[in-house]
Amino acid sequence: MPSIKLRDASVAFPIYNSRSRSLRSSLLARVGGTVQADDDGAVTVRALQNITLDLAPGDRLALVGHNGAGKSTLLRVFSGAYEPSTGAAEIKGRVSSLLDMTMGMDMELTGADNVVLRGVFLGMSIAEARSRIPEVEEFSELGGFMHLPMRTYSSGMRLRLAFAISTARVPDILLMDEFISVGDQTFARKARERLEHMIDNARIMVLASHSAQMIRQYCNRAILLQGGCVAREGAVDEILAAYQQGQQP
Amino acid sequence: MDDLLAGFGAWQMWLLLGLNDIRQRYKRSRFGQFWITLSTGIFVAGIGIVYAYLFNHPVDEYIPYLSVNIVFWTLVAGILTDSTTVFTQAGHYLGQQALPKTAFVMRVLVRQLLVLAHNVVIIVLVYLAFGVALPATAAFVLPALVVLLLAAFLAAITIGLLCTRFRDLPQIIQSLLQVAFFLTPIMWRVEQLGDKAHYIVGYNPFAIFLMLVVEPLHGKWPSWDLYGRAFVIIAIMALVAAPLFARFRARIVYWL
Repeated sequence: MPSIKLRDASVAFPIYNSRSRSLRSSLLARVGGTVQADDDGAVTVRALQNITLDLAPGDRLALVGHNGAGKSTLLRVFSGAYEPSTGAAEIKGRVSSLLDMTMGMDMELTGADNVVLRGVFLGMSIAEARSRIPEVEEFSELGGFMHLPMRTYSSGMRLRLAFAISTARVPDILLMDEFISVGDQTFARKARERLEHMIDNARIMVLASHSAQMIRQYCNRAILLQGGCVAREGAVDEILAAYQQGQQP
Repeated sequence: MDDLLAGFGAWQMWLLLGLNDIRQRYKRSRFGQFWITLSTGIFVAGIGIVYAYLFNHPVDEYIPYLSVNIVFWTLVAGILTDSTTVFTQAGHYLGQQALPKTAFVMRVLVRQLLVLAHNVVIIVLVYLAFGVALPATAAFVLPALVVLLLAAFLAAITIGLLCTRFRDLPQIIQSLLQVAFFLTPIMWRVEQLGDKAHYIVGYNPFAIFLMLVVEPLHGKWPSWDLYGRAFVIIAIMALVAAPLFARFRARIVYWL
């Protein structure tokens, strides 16, 4: 059964090339995690601090917070890319993150080659990814462009292709940074339907967003992040209200 | 250890990545990936002719000797050079998704083995041109290559890890490789050194692994002494690489 368990998890980045010289200026910064200097003068950015969290099937979690509050870092902990520097994170189930859909794509390769490459990163075998090419071609409406190098694509076409392959399979755990909208009106509608199908069928979904409307529509739990800490946890409306209150002091 | 198994398990990923590295690098050039062959060939021809006269060796004996050495040195140097950027190059992937780190080490090995496959053409051409017959011992290249790759895998993990944390190391390793090129019997023969050869060749890991692979092609039977030395070095490397990787594997992402 897919689940995510965080126990007292913290993420701290050591910044080796910036000494405490620049500490004063970063302390004045109003966004971002906590910046600290160690005894030896090395600077660490504490992006997340002591997060304890349990997610079970059926959970649709919204991450709320201003820029630099730690939303994206937390998503990356969920994806398994960052193992917490202290504390523990246990992630069970196949994760698919739509954080960077074009990850692993190569501009010199053709669209079809990229489908295979991206597919393999999503956990498919080469043969399976190859068998998805016609489906992706049809959904992305790229037609003859599938067999041209990706550098000839417009940015919209690249996103269409990336979206089509990234959403080809429903994962156990779905991670999203802002709700994705791709392409022109007709394609955006189609993409939205496909994404909603994915959200409905994924066992656990986490969405980091600033849009109250999206969060109300898709989520059933929320946490408010502030400076890398969980400031509040609870029902969607309660957290959104707290967030909006914090926005207008 | 889990990472190691997962890394091998993701063989389709590193095979594809390694293949694409080569494909992408030469995608838009006319000769494509045969530039690998061509540039090594030019190097062998240039060095071969100059040094044959310098050392007073007959060209038809020296060039076959040199071409084999250069081709396999290119493999060794290529793996070590690429391993300095193995994780920094993959930063984009590692920051997004939970992926076995060793898969990217395997990618480097695949990439360099493909380069080797292109360079082997040179040995074939040189042997044909100078009418050299393949010695009976040539088949022993294959087990030697396996031993070499085992060592290369361990070296690449260690170098990759350290180079991600200490960004001055890639430059240092580059310069060391240049020195190693001259301290290893590539352009010269061990016999030319006389009695002192033992100190430069016997304890030089580059020389040991290179000789392991190239000597069968020069018509020598594999020696237990050489294999023994190679396995001692591998054991030492494993003792360094394993705890280092176990301790700092999770930190790689934080250093990127």
